[in-house]
Amino acid sequence: MKKIKIIAGIAWAFICLILIIVLFPGLNSFSSSLAMLPFMKINPNYTGGEVAQSLVMDNCTIDIRRPVFDGLFGERQKGFVQIDWRGEIPAEIIDTIDFDFDNNKDFAISINSKSSETILLPFNNKIRDVGISTPTSYGWAVRVNLKK
Amino acid sequence: MDDTLSGTSLKKSFGKSLLYSLPMILITFMFISGGRPDFSNPSSALAMMITFILVNVLYFLMHYTGKTDKFRAILFIIFALSLSFTLISNMLEMRNSMSFSQADILECKIPFCHLVIPMMILPAAFTKSIIFPGSILGSFAGIASMVVLWLVATLVLGRGFCSWGCFYGGWDDGFSRIRKKPVIKKISDSWKWMPFAVLFMVALTSALSLGPTYCDWICPFKAVTEFEEVTSVASAAKAGVFISLFAGLVVILPFLTRKRTQCSFLCPLGAINTLSNKITPFTVKIDKANCSECFKCVAACPLFALTQEGIRNGKVSVFCSKCGKCIDACSRNAIHYGIKGVPAGTMKKFSRNLFLFISFLFMAVFSSGSIVNTFRGLLDLIF
Ligand code: SF4
Ligand code: SF4
Repeated sequence: MKKIKIIAGIAWAFICLILIIVLFPGLNSFSSSLAMLPFMKINPNYTGGEVAQSLVMDNCTIDIRRPVFDGLFGERQKGFVQIDWRGEIPAEIIDTIDFDFDNNKDFAISINSKSSETILLPFNNKIRDVGISTPTSYGWAVRVNLKK
Repeated sequence: MDDTLSGTSLKKSFGKSLLYSLPMILITFMFISGGRPDFSNPSSALAMMITFILVNVLYFLMHYTGKTDKFRAILFIIFALSLSFTLISNMLEMRNSMSFSQADILECKIPFCHLVIPMMILPAAFTKSIIFPGSILGSFAGIASMVVLWLVATLVLGRGFCSWGCFYGGWDDGFSRIRKKPVIKKISDSWKWMPFAVLFMVALTSALSLGPTYCDWICPFKAVTEFEEVTSVASAAKAGVFISLFAGLVVILPFLTRKRTQCSFLCPLGAINTLSNKITPFTVKIDKANCSECFKCVAACPLFALTQEGIRNGKVSVFCSKCGKCIDACSRNAIHYGIKGVPAGTMKKFSRNLFLFISFLFMAVFSSGSIVNTFRGLLDLIF
């Protein structure tokens, strides 16, 4: 028994030696394999959710993302919808948005891209307030807080 | 079996030390130079050469002197400093500031670090997603590569990760070495259970809020890496917490106690690494036949892993990070690196040689990128 324990211990130690030796040369392929696992994607609370509709305007594109209510076990009562303006951003952004695509405008938003002042005009009681309004590398992003 | 006598020296002759260092020299040469040294950029070439020489001299000295901890600590501390240098210079280059903006979060551009891992486990299980605004396969601090590195290192080294792999541990390790003698000598070692409470709390709050609460509110290392722009009362409060915890647990208490207090009392990943000590084949063992119960090792241990009671019973606790400080403090070689299953007091040299090769190789290769980058940055600043 004692001998078996010694052999098992040393064998495990040598497996560890091999693991460390192959770790760095194989890091890219190990990471790519890990990245394929179903849970290896960033939570929509950070990404802003998938783009549900893209509206092509004169100088920029407006991406309306799906509303994010994602919680640990299901949907939360409070969430947000993210709108991205991509391309050339005018000094004043003024748009009305129908984020649930029911052909009724849900809110109007006006953004002064110089001062970042953002004014929200809600058209229904699902709209709470402006969570984030910020310039980004691709243009501008706004998160409007929602309730169910 | 070898060296069961008390006081058996772990020192080697010059030639034998060089022979033992050869595999490290070859492998680190391949990794640091990429196999093909490029001399077209002199500061890059010089930085690579300095890094290559530094790591190999340290490894050689571990064999030549028979001492582990001080040479490990030199690289470990340089790793911590260079990682902060790399992160901060990257941030300054990309954003002209050490703070990240809301846009960086929205665009998932935050560098990932291994301390997030304890917080992402529950949400990953329930929501099948990662609650961190980083990049899965990013070239710099991508989530997948950091998880792979931590996973393998933890499996192989157990809590040894905390003395051979973590790019933060060098901070409190460094400050704990400044004084020769501690000013505060008595600290209850029951505080070492605190990281488990922190782990429980941050795992729960992160799952409920779907945000990494430790990073958002607690992590002392934000003070030396990157933090949220101070734009509100909440972000100012967070900055206050980061700086106070860094000053208290990483600088002042280690300085006064000679213990790694941040790692011992706060870090939730340290708690997970402690549990992984059950899996790794490498351990620290007590050769009771040679132990005179002087308890120098207990006083030396920076992570409260040893107690007098434990030494009498021949037991090293799971809190051990295999730093080697206790081993260096023991003049009788009664405490030594070992392999699970192999009886204490036997195969001391074999176990040490194998463990040092594995752990040092991990640290040398993992740290070399940021160390080269730091030397290059410093050379560019000077010349
Ligand atoms: S306890 Fe935490 S900060 Fe300290 S070395 Fe371990 S993982 Fe790093
Ligand atoms: S028991 Fe020894 S090797 Fe382990 S952490 Fe303490 S000093 Fe380091």
